[in-house]
Amino acid sequence: MKYMILTFASQRHYQEMAGRPTSKAAWTQEDWAALGAFMQTFNQELLDSGELVETRGLSAPAHTRRVQFKQGVPVVTDGPYAEAEEVLAGYWVVECESFDRATEIASRLGSCPGPEHVRARAYADVRPIDEHQPDFEG
Amino acid sequence: MIAAEIEDLLRRLTPQVLSAVVRRYGNFDLAEDATQEALLVALVQWPRDGMPENPKGWLVAVASRRLTDLLRSEQARRRREDTVARRALAERSATQADERRSGETDDTLVLLFMCCHPSLSAASQIALTLRAVGGLSTAEIARALLGSEQTVTRRITRAKQSIRDSGVAFALPAANTVAGRLQAVLRVLYLIFNEGYASTTGTALVRVDLAEQAIRLARMLHAALPDDSEVTGLLALMLLVHARHRARTAPDGWLIPMADQDRSLWDRRGIDEGIALITAALPRGPTGPYQLQAAIAAVHDEAKSAETTDWPQIAALYGVLLRLDDNPVVALNHAVAVSMVAGPRAGLVLLQRLEADSRINADRRFHAVRGHLLETAGDHAAALEAYQAASQVATNLQQQRYLNQQIARLSSSGTQATG
Repeated sequence: MKYMILTFASQRHYQEMAGRPTSKAAWTQEDWAALGAFMQTFNQELLDSGELVETRGLSAPAHTRRVQFKQGVPVVTDGPYAEAEEVLAGYWVVECESFDRATEIASRLGSCPGPEHVRARAYADVRPIDEHQPDFEG
Repeated sequence: MIAAEIEDLLRRLTPQVLSAVVRRYGNFDLAEDATQEALLVALVQWPRDGMPENPKGWLVAVASRRLTDLLRSEQARRRREDTVARRALAERSATQADERRSGETDDTLVLLFMCCHPSLSAASQIALTLRAVGGLSTAEIARALLGSEQTVTRRITRAKQSIRDSGVAFALPAANTVAGRLQAVLRVLYLIFNEGYASTTGTALVRVDLAEQAIRLARMLHAALPDDSEVTGLLALMLLVHARHRARTAPDGWLIPMADQDRSLWDRRGIDEGIALITAALPRGPTGPYQLQAAIAAVHDEAKSAETTDWPQIAALYGVLLRLDDNPVVALNHAVAVSMVAGPRAGLVLLQRLEADSRINADRRFHAVRGHLLETAGDHAAALEAYQAASQVATNLQQQRYLNQQIARLSSSGTQATG
């Protein structure tokens, strides 16, 4: 079974990560290096165990374009999110033996280093991927 | 023979086995499946039972048997579906096949032309080339491209369908189209190489293998066309860039710009080979963009430090490249090189010409270079604005961090002065 692990962050978090303070301090070089080292190990282990299908990090919410359809006409809004709104920041698709195993992988993200105020509120969602496809050919 | 060596041998034999089967039976798409299946059988049997005396002959025999099965079942299916088109199962006469048989390198070339056919999308060209010529399994390709196996399978299937539908013959393209078709092959190999260098958070090291596959394919192409200077140039370029890969990533996974890299980590053997290749190719002509890029990479690789880089030569090479290829990123690099030779003002004059170029004037790189040159020229207020513009559009966190550091540095040193 395949599962998607999703993580979340706000524009403010991104800004702090990018080295610009908000009401909270900006990430230091040490914070940044620790994050990189953690991700490197985390991904390499998933790759070695053969469970990693795909992983991507998304750029800051400010770069989002939202397309809405107003009476059938697409209307594009740049940067639709509020500063503090937590939105999708990255994902992993893992293929593993059980939901529990996928949950265990996601739990390891709890040791991802970062400033205390971010760590205190951080969470990850694990969702099974809907893979059932109709069989057209026998 | 250990498993890794067997795997290596199988990858090397893949295009030869596939060509032999296609020459005998036609039917590229099913022959490709049959070859993959023969490789799998070998991967299981050889380590267990030992190597056959003639590995290539063994693989061709197994693939041919498998193809016969595939053709039979397809014929049966087609009969069931009452399809008009029916394919001949008859084996072409061996003598005919032998007569048309050319060298193994030519077979590789024919396969490369086929897999990089202009009617296929770039993504399909990449996947099919890695499988049919590179001998990688679908799972390995999916892993290398950080994509799902289903997607890769679909791309390969679709690519083979369009090859079948377009009726491309298993032969070298007509002489008058070879040059254009070769361009497509070079581009696909270069895309594979660059894909190996694209990285996402913490996965930079994972894809070294993909860059190495691209080098292996470029070596095969070079063996088939040793006198083509652009083929040589592409192989040299890959070797010269890849030689720096160990210095490119910090232990924490983030990328290190070339100026800050520990050059003792650069791979001397790769550099020497790349330099020898490009030195031999350049005087032969005609000079094309891959040779020029390789020459630029060679000048960087030869420098003991960032400071001792031969910038006049790099500026001159970018100048020539710019005349061949009106590419704004090349123009940007040219401006940087010129500023290293003649000072930041000279670089800024060149940048002015790009200000109206919509392909680059909203790009992070344009603003970042402008900021750097303005700062070097002493115009800190304008530099700050340029860095801010770059930071606004930067989508990569590491690049944003770099730009924000410049902004913070200039703001703290310049606020009193510019008030």
